Amino acid sequence: MSVSDEKLIAFVDGELDGAERAEVEAALAADATLAARAEAQRKLRTRLSAAFDGALDEPVPERLRAATEAAPRAADVASMADRRAAKTRPQWSFREWGAMAASLVGGLVIGLGAMNANAPMIAPGDDGLVARGQLARALDTQLASDEAGAVRIGLSFRDQNGAYCRTFDARGTAGLACNQQPLAGRAHGRKREHRRSAYGERTGGEKCWRRWTNASRANRWMPTAKPKRAKRAGTEQPCPGREAIREPSMGSARNVGHGSRLSASLRPGSVEH
Amino acid sequence: MPSAAAPTGADIAALLPRLRRFARALTGHTADADDVVQIAVERALMRIDQFQPGTKLEAWLLSIVRNAWIDEARARTRRSKTFVAPEAGENVGSDGEAAMHAKLEANDVWAAMQQLPEEQREAVALVCVEGLAYREAAEALGVPIGTVTSRLARGREALARLLGETP
Repeated sequence: MSVSDEKLIAFVDGELDGAERAEVEAALAADATLAARAEAQRKLRTRLSAAFDGALDEPVPERLRAATEAAPRAADVASMADRRAAKTRPQWSFREWGAMAASLVGGLVIGLGAMNANAPMIAPGDDGLVARGQLARALDTQLASDEAGAVRIGLSFRDQNGAYCRTFDARGTAGLACNQQPLAGRAHGRKREHRRSAYGERTGGEKCWRRWTNASRANRWMPTAKPKRAKRAGTEQPCPGREAIREPSMGSARNVGHGSRLSASLRPGSVEH
Repeated sequence: MPSAAAPTGADIAALLPRLRRFARALTGHTADADDVVQIAVERALMRIDQFQPGTKLEAWLLSIVRNAWIDEARARTRRSKTFVAPEAGENVGSDGEAAMHAKLEANDVWAAMQQLPEEQREAVALVCVEGLAYREAAEALGVPIGTVTSRLARGREALARLLGETP
């Protein structure tokens, strides 16, 4: 019988089962040329299987090993575009921001500066001060690139619960305002050390708010940090908020109070850079 | 969230030597091979949730390496194409393509592999170099088993002639 090339190769590769294998064995026994071909293919396979084995003995290059660690998990990043965007965001631990959003603002010093007393930008709310009016509008809608108005917006963050914090500089009153979101239990039990690490060695004032990127979100903005006068660049003041970090109270992890809710037609979760 | 059975970066790292070996058989160059493996690792990690737990991780990764090579090869001229004198020999691996020949050292397996058309080379690399079963190779390539066996047979006959393994 004649054995097709495919069958011969499959035989050499051990892919034939009982009946077919016996068939080929019989044919090989009867045909010396066929047997020689089978032997040649067996030798070839041995050569092929060994020819590239150097790769198994060599140490793996570091960049390949690193590649197995470096990529983001699919759960964290939905797409390549998100991955690129994520790389440009500052590497904050967002839990600090969430804690600050939940904390009450005590000892707040507000430099009224050029703020119009008839249109206050920061006003008392149920659990602390709440942004109003021009400041609230700016926090809701303004992009950091817009430096023309009375309020300059610096950096915005989104923490893991979707709450946003933004820094602002309103003509002498600078601070950090966080979107008051119900943080449900995440605001509690967080160690103080985590919060202190948020700013590191960075300095405040101009440097602080300029350093951050943009996000926008519609909601109520509550200053949670101790606003201070905007400093000249190069001063060594810590970023706004550092002094005001403290244990959140039980009542802080829910949406505050009343007051005019400003509408802004922004898609939740949209991030603009 | 990845399930407990999902492979980790460490699981992939453990298979890097095999992925490099396979990529060398495909590309014919160690540097190209590592480039292709790096792309494949990144893609594998991005879609790690698509891996079916219980199936063979190495087969899944090898198919990703193979696809990465296809993408890469399309983007560049095949280095293995060389024109040689007519006495170099008969057509090998024609498969309807213009056949390119090279006068080869008898034991130059790397160059011989590069003489094969991609589809034969990848079948030979999966089965003969990486030791996959025909069924596994068919799955990795996304073709029926019959297609694998015919490409394998043609590729091995061509290699036998190129490498002097003829009776």
